Amino acid sequence: MSWANFLQLLVSGLAMGAIYTLTAKGLFIAHLATNRLNFAQGDFLMIAALLTLALRGAGLPVVVVIPLVVALLGLGGWLLERGFIRPLDRLGFRGGGEYSWILTTAGAGLIVQNVAELAWGKSGQYSPPLFSGTNEPVRFLGVGVYPEQLAVIAVSFAVVAAFYYFLFRTHWGKSIYAVAFNPDAALLLGIDVRRMVILVFALASMLAAVSGVLAGPIVSVYPQMGLVFTVKGLAVAAVGGFSNPVAILVGGVLFGLAESFSNYFNSQFGDLLPLLGVLALLIVRPAGLVGARKATGR
Amino acid sequence: MDTRRRILVMALCVALPASAVDTVKVGVVEGLSGPPAITDFGESYLQGLKLALKDYAEHGGKPKIELIVYDDEANPQRAVSLVQRLIQSDNVSIVLGTVSSGNVMAFAPILQRAGVPLIAGPSIATNITTDFINQKPSFIFRCSMVEKFQIEAMLDWGVKNFKKLGLIHSTTGYGSFAAKSIAEGLKQRGSGLAAVEAAAPGVNDLTPQMLKMRDAGVDLVLDFHESFELVFRPMAALDYHPVVAGNWGLSSLKVEQVVGDKALEGTVMGQALDLAAPAAKAFDARMRKEYGKDYRWPVVAALGYDAGQIVAAAVSKAQSADPKALRDAIENVDGIKAITATPAHPFSPGDHECLKQKDVFLGVWKNGQVVRLEPKR
Repeated sequence: MSWANFLQLLVSGLAMGAIYTLTAKGLFIAHLATNRLNFAQGDFLMIAALLTLALRGAGLPVVVVIPLVVALLGLGGWLLERGFIRPLDRLGFRGGGEYSWILTTAGAGLIVQNVAELAWGKSGQYSPPLFSGTNEPVRFLGVGVYPEQLAVIAVSFAVVAAFYYFLFRTHWGKSIYAVAFNPDAALLLGIDVRRMVILVFALASMLAAVSGVLAGPIVSVYPQMGLVFTVKGLAVAAVGGFSNPVAILVGGVLFGLAESFSNYFNSQFGDLLPLLGVLALLIVRPAGLVGARKATGR
Repeated sequence: MDTRRRILVMALCVALPASAVDTVKVGVVEGLSGPPAITDFGESYLQGLKLALKDYAEHGGKPKIELIVYDDEANPQRAVSLVQRLIQSDNVSIVLGTVSSGNVMAFAPILQRAGVPLIAGPSIATNITTDFINQKPSFIFRCSMVEKFQIEAMLDWGVKNFKKLGLIHSTTGYGSFAAKSIAEGLKQRGSGLAAVEAAAPGVNDLTPQMLKMRDAGVDLVLDFHESFELVFRPMAALDYHPVVAGNWGLSSLKVEQVVGDKALEGTVMGQALDLAAPAAKAFDARMRKEYGKDYRWPVVAALGYDAGQIVAAAVSKAQSADPKALRDAIENVDGIKAITATPAHPFSPGDHECLKQKDVFLGVWKNGQVVRLEPKR
């Protein structure tokens, strides 16, 4: 393999890995505080990509569209927790089952999909580039890179750094960890547990918004696209052990690169091999790359 | 009732003209949800079909045709159960559908056994009608592209005009079958593929596969993946611009919107609709008016329209809801003024395809429109 090919695969693998990282990060933060997974995470990514398209189509500039979509999805996260997960959790005490959130989040994903189909149709959509008028790549060392690919890589690293700071250095981050450790004890310590839970779902949805906005121009955008991202996000979060932001970044990068290189060497099973790799890893290390003893990442 | 009156009533029943039937129920199973390629095919075919039946109703066609439409979600089990429902509960006299050839192959034997005619479309697997043609009579017809026809036309042209051919196909049953047909077709022509790459159906990036094409020096990429737009995406980054040829799906207006005219220019695909022909042009304009931005696939919609014309003509001729009478009427239907290359008398006992090999030609994207590919002089 030539150096140019190696670098090209590296860039496309890193870009896809960055999208998986952001999706996994959303799954991780919600799981951290509530022990629940948002199975609609990929669908939130999809709706963010379509909203970006619609708002840009309405003539709004990118600098307005991005914060608007992030805010709208944050609101969506709040609605998911407040309107869907919590009411069913309450029913859980009356025999509704403590795993009702699985159905709730997956159902919310289906609702989002159907709304998207109604609003935008079932076909694929063209997502214009965010940072330039034409879809032309930047060239260096014989490799072509789209600005969106660089942006999604940079943003995923920046988000990891921000998350690390937020979780381990701020009062709110510590509160989330306290809720994760023991919600009753956190309540006794004066932490508003409900607010923390809403916060993590809003944060998770905002992460989906960021990945949706950035991924739109580099992947195919259509209402059914979310499931693949949810599944791959789950795989990445499992590699990271659902434990800390850095481990998830490592998992995401490894998964994206594995997908890119395995498709180069054997495209017949290119998408299957990374998933089999994750399964093999989990057999050897059920707690993911970072073992249980290093779960906090400190 | 005395015996004489009973005989009279029976005689009246027998003597009643078949035209006494008021409504004929026609069942449609199409892929109307799922991956974009499936829904684009399914909805486009249905749009054309509905327009043809609307024309029939507006011209006072008798008996009336009642359409019962179900979505098989590209799922073979669901398609089979929907067809059973159409036969057993809805009592339809004709069935049309669906997008996935695998689904058609799953329910066609049921319709053949039940003696209910099927007009398959827009599925394209080669053997859909030929598997049944020796069962006298066969109830399985088709109004759609035939995979073998478009592949044959493409390989004839590809071998003559390009040095190295490469293939990107999906790992689905459809993609694998196309890959096999292409490999065999090239072998028969004393040629072969310089590179063969596959991709899973939900894949988002074909950079690795296109790198392999570039390294193998492929100047014609045969695109037989359901996400038609994917091969175009990495081209600019790889600074690699081969000619792309593939499935008739590449003529979709949706592909044009996603890929853009510039990248799509010169892309070749199997076709059965010449938009330069006056009837096709008028149909295209009418569909745009009728469906607006939801109209996205001229050739598929036109084949749906022609299938609808055949159904209407058969119902009108048979004046009956009896599936067997309708089968005979479909086989003998004549005088169809088709939008596509479908002949006026499309079927015979030995051929249940609307399109023949000679009717399938290659189309090419030129200045934002699919036109007939003129052979090099």
